[in-house]
Amino acid sequence: MHWLVPLPVFVPLTVAATMAAGSFVFGRRVADVLALLTAVATAALCIAILIHVGSGRDVYWFGGWKPVKGVALGISFTVDTFGAGTATLVAVLMVAAFSFSWHFFDETVEHRFTILMLVFLGAMVGFSLSGDLFNMFVFFEVMGVAAYALTGYKVETRAPLQGALNFAISNSVGGYMVLLGIGLVYARTGALNLAQIGRAIGGHGPDGLIIVAFTLIFIGFLVKAAVVPFHFWLADAHAVAPTPVCILFSGVMVELGLYGAARVYWTVFAGPFGAHGDALSHVLLGLGVLTAVLGAVMCFLQQHIKRLLAYSTVSHLGLFLVGFALLDHSALGGVAIYVMTHGAMKGALFIGAGILLHRLGSVDEEALRGRARHMPWTGLLFVFGALALAEVPPFGTGLGADLIEDAGSKAGYHWMPWLFGLVAALTAGAVLRATARVFLGLGPREVSRFSADGESQEEDESETQEDRGRTPKSMFIPAAVLLAACLGLGLVPGLAGRAEHAAVRFQDQHGYAATVLDRAKATTPPAEVSPAKWGGRLYGLGALGGALALAAYALFRNQIPEQVRRAGRALSLGSAFVGLRRIHSGDVSDYIAWLTLGIASVGGLFSLVLR
Amino acid sequence: MSTRTRLLLFVLPALGVAALLVWSFTGLPSFGHYPGPYGNVVNAQVVPVRHATNAVASVNFDFRGVDTIGEEFILFAAVMGTSALLRVQRRERQEGSSDDRDESHPAAETAGAVQVICMALVAPIVLLGIYIVVHGHLTPGGGFQGGVILATAPLMVYLGGRYIVFRQVSPKGLLDFGEGAGAGGFVAIGFIAMLAGAAFLENVFPLGKASEVFSAGTIPVINLSVGLEVAGGLLLVMWEFLEQALVVRG
Amino acid sequence: MTGVLQGLTMVSVAVFATAVVLNRDPLPQAMVFAFFGMSLVLLFLVLQAPDVSLSAIVVGAMAYPLMTVLTLAKIRQRR
Repeated sequence: MHWLVPLPVFVPLTVAATMAAGSFVFGRRVADVLALLTAVATAALCIAILIHVGSGRDVYWFGGWKPVKGVALGISFTVDTFGAGTATLVAVLMVAAFSFSWHFFDETVEHRFTILMLVFLGAMVGFSLSGDLFNMFVFFEVMGVAAYALTGYKVETRAPLQGALNFAISNSVGGYMVLLGIGLVYARTGALNLAQIGRAIGGHGPDGLIIVAFTLIFIGFLVKAAVVPFHFWLADAHAVAPTPVCILFSGVMVELGLYGAARVYWTVFAGPFGAHGDALSHVLLGLGVLTAVLGAVMCFLQQHIKRLLAYSTVSHLGLFLVGFALLDHSALGGVAIYVMTHGAMKGALFIGAGILLHRLGSVDEEALRGRARHMPWTGLLFVFGALALAEVPPFGTGLGADLIEDAGSKAGYHWMPWLFGLVAALTAGAVLRATARVFLGLGPREVSRFSADGESQEEDESETQEDRGRTPKSMFIPAAVLLAACLGLGLVPGLAGRAEHAAVRFQDQHGYAATVLDRAKATTPPAEVSPAKWGGRLYGLGALGGALALAAYALFRNQIPEQVRRAGRALSLGSAFVGLRRIHSGDVSDYIAWLTLGIASVGGLFSLVLR
Repeated sequence: MSTRTRLLLFVLPALGVAALLVWSFTGLPSFGHYPGPYGNVVNAQVVPVRHATNAVASVNFDFRGVDTIGEEFILFAAVMGTSALLRVQRRERQEGSSDDRDESHPAAETAGAVQVICMALVAPIVLLGIYIVVHGHLTPGGGFQGGVILATAPLMVYLGGRYIVFRQVSPKGLLDFGEGAGAGGFVAIGFIAMLAGAAFLENVFPLGKASEVFSAGTIPVINLSVGLEVAGGLLLVMWEFLEQALVVRG
Repeated sequence: MTGVLQGLTMVSVAVFATAVVLNRDPLPQAMVFAFFGMSLVLLFLVLQAPDVSLSAIVVGAMAYPLMTVLTLAKIRQRR
């Protein structure tokens, strides 16, 4: 119970409230400086907590209400390495976002943007640290409300409000599901603390109530995690949200959905479902593979760069879900590393897109053709981002992918490296193609490929009005630092082993409950840690080759001999892609229909296999 | 997707979801049979340990106060978001419309009886609001409920046709201040406990004698803070809306 | 007696909730919603939750209809 633990949540919230109370006192720059300092301080606090937690857990009981005879009276933050690490990622990306927005928006009315960002920061950190199911839901909702408003911030045009509405409606349905699930669990156990619920239902096999409660809470979080078929809102929201908001959405908010699902699974539901691990694993693997492939294909089909990056996030969430689905500590450690490095990389890429928007007033690949020839550094940013996407060594993404693939192969899923390679090639290929087109002017002119009638056309309006002649350092430096971090994390010696040990603690349900309810000292159960190796690195290079080939194909396919093209057309992939695009209609009613279908099918599968 | 396809896509899965829910409800404890330990433990502790006669308030502001901070910031974020999303229209109007909005205000035609009743209601509403806020730890009610009631008092002024008076009794700067200070105050009380060497949001204020107004430690103070935030937030949203809805009608 | 009251209030919540959903025009829907809010208030009262009941009054009778009406006024003004 260390006094540091509540600070990274409540310091940003206090600053946000103060800024609102004195909105007429603070000038624009004062508010900006204050916000940046707060984010830096929050990041420092999170790192301090990460160090303090070490290889244990810290339980902070709010209001001093310690549990009595195994009954939690108050709310606890139960911090372990993963929780503190996620919180750190949130805060670091927030620093990058605030730095980027230094030259952002010509006016901010009463600092509403800054205030909402600070609330968003506090909520995400709170969600990462919380050890109480209902408290997680509360922070989930705070996060949501701030995020909806931030998505629609550029209200000058109609599209942002539409994107924000799609986002808000889809995620609110997810929120209601979580709440309903919590209600069911509370009716059964009378407990809200994760550890206490886990103990209360651990001894029995699952029945209808537990299975449905799990389905509701799990899918509720997966809506936030944009897993197919709950992913539709994500591209709409990313396409219209201001760039600093996109950094946080893709970099960490979406991942927090999966974090929540994983946290709840291993503290609460691992007990009753432990005997059905294989069946659960298969269902989740299916969802993960579907998400990864669909997201990667959609990514390659985009020419709006923010949408392209958004679909690559969907695809990566699929990979993370695959890693989670293995229910294995090595794979989970790999997911943790991958999430960290993915956040850094995706943040850098979105900053790159934001720089294009700042300098050239558009993020449409076709509209920007060759117009960025004079911006080599930004081009380099995209190239390095693509290398990270391709999981090329020594980028940390490759390290994460390695761990997951190895665990998968060990479990008998030998196709897993192919899946990771495919995703890497498609997403990196898409980024390389866009880079070549925008920065080098390569390839033929194409007007709206695969245009789908329903898809809303975003009007790109520049977010900034200051001098457009050069890229401000406050934009470029955070992107460079994030990429360096993505690279550097891959080089930290022993990182994989540490992540795996942290994963073992994360998955240790009994140890977790004992620390929370019995004040037992946290230990790391012994576990086999995969040896450090670089063998799987060949996949990374292979994926890069694939990415280059795909990008080259997209750019130069007019020069391919006619016979080959005809053979390709016989595969009729084109019409399949058009159909795929048409499904992503931009109509929120469709999204809810898909969501219902998803709940019913996943819930149905769970009820069949988990009993 | 056509409406028909969508309906087809929706109906069958929706029936499936309904079936799942019904299946889960069969596992619930029967109606009125509360199995959990929490309520009993809290009931046994509230009066002796916290000197608060309203158990719900003790749970909301003491046992599980952090949830309530979160909920308060949901409201805070919603108000800030609404005000951010409505901002453009304000700029548009400043460019486009005439300055004589105050005189041209249409509600001046409000019937005399409505004006009288609304004005007569203002004082009782303020009194009721304050009563509900300050007795939150003793009887049902508290900062949230009382705050909403308080927010309706200036609304009565508005309904009574006194838009100018409405703007005078609720100036924007004051509303911003109330909204921010109320939200910040709750967190500040949490920090005060930490400065006193206790856990965040621990009830460190003097507990007083149960069933008196000055009792239950931090709970009534938090109620005041929440009341300020809720009243300020609601009025801020109304202010933003009325600013626009009104002028154009005029 | 309480059983009957509980049953009646629950049925009324279900009826009014359905009415809210079936009403597609926002302005009448806001009015029907006020009735739904009232039925919730009674339900909570009958279930002996006065705190929640009071919250339901202020939300259902004041905050929600007010916001809806204001939003509608704003939408109409835009047209």
